[in-house]
Amino acid sequence: MKVEHVNAFYVATQEVFKTMLDLGVEKGELRIVEDMVSSKDANVLLGITGDLKGSILFGFPNDMALKMVNIMSGVDMDKIDTFVSSALGEIVNIIGGNAVTSLSNYNYMCNIAPPQIIVGKYKSISMASERSLLIPLNTEIGKFDVNIFLAETKNED
Amino acid sequence: MMWKERYRIGVDLIDNQHRELFRRLSSFIQVVQNEDPWDQKLDDVKSTLNFMQEYVVYHFEDEERYQREIGYPDYEEHREAHAKFKEEINEYVRLMEEEGFTEESIQELAARLMTWLIMHVGKADQRIGEYAKSREGME
Ligand SMILES: [Fe+2]
Repeated sequence: MKVEHVNAFYVATQEVFKTMLDLGVEKGELRIVEDMVSSKDANVLLGITGDLKGSILFGFPNDMALKMVNIMSGVDMDKIDTFVSSALGEIVNIIGGNAVTSLSNYNYMCNIAPPQIIVGKYKSISMASERSLLIPLNTEIGKFDVNIFLAETKNED
Repeated sequence: MMWKERYRIGVDLIDNQHRELFRRLSSFIQVVQNEDPWDQKLDDVKSTLNFMQEYVVYHFEDEERYQREIGYPDYEEHREAHAKFKEEINEYVRLMEEEGFTEESIQELAARLMTWLIMHVGKADQRIGEYAKSREGME
């Protein structure tokens, strides 16, 4: 996994959080993990195809997920219902779209699949036993994780 | 409150309409998300949705007219984004008319409307304001 590929998703996350939620996002210590597991209350899985193939998993803790939707809607949320999970899915979809656009500037042409929302902790979702990169992210309203696994399918000249 | 000061683009007509748009979207979300039993509030859900949809169409027309008036260079692209969004909502509503207005499908639609509008007004529409300002400087 190249730094600029991972960075495309990090930068897109920062931009979208700024525009949609008025929130800054800071990166914590990166880790390599053996397995992609949804370890948070609300998880959104984004599939990537094309010159890069893999998955990006966003994991949000319960309170943060509710607060995010509260910031956008102005309405207090008390549970992760379809409105909340769909809104999280939409945010991740926008992040994915922006990341794919910036990857195309490096001549990597990719597509995103519609995000899948997984509510509930500890479901293993990795398809292969590939290691992935875990980026812990920090905001004023809580910490969340982005798990990235990307493999190149393009032959380098 | 969904409207935020930073959404302001500096053109009163558009800013007032955006504020009204968020106000209508907000009433729709509030009805969808309140604790009342679904079958009891369904009429309310439909009418607030309709009320918002009507305003989306009205506002897009005005905003597009304004863009033409100032010779906004990304007019075509912007008009297309509006058209795609309108089409998407219509398709969504058409599907619900066929298959039923379930709580889940309406919540999904509400989330889509909310995130699209925030992103659109927070980003794409801001560029109209920037262009309008740069144009004033040239005159
Ligand atoms: Fe617009």
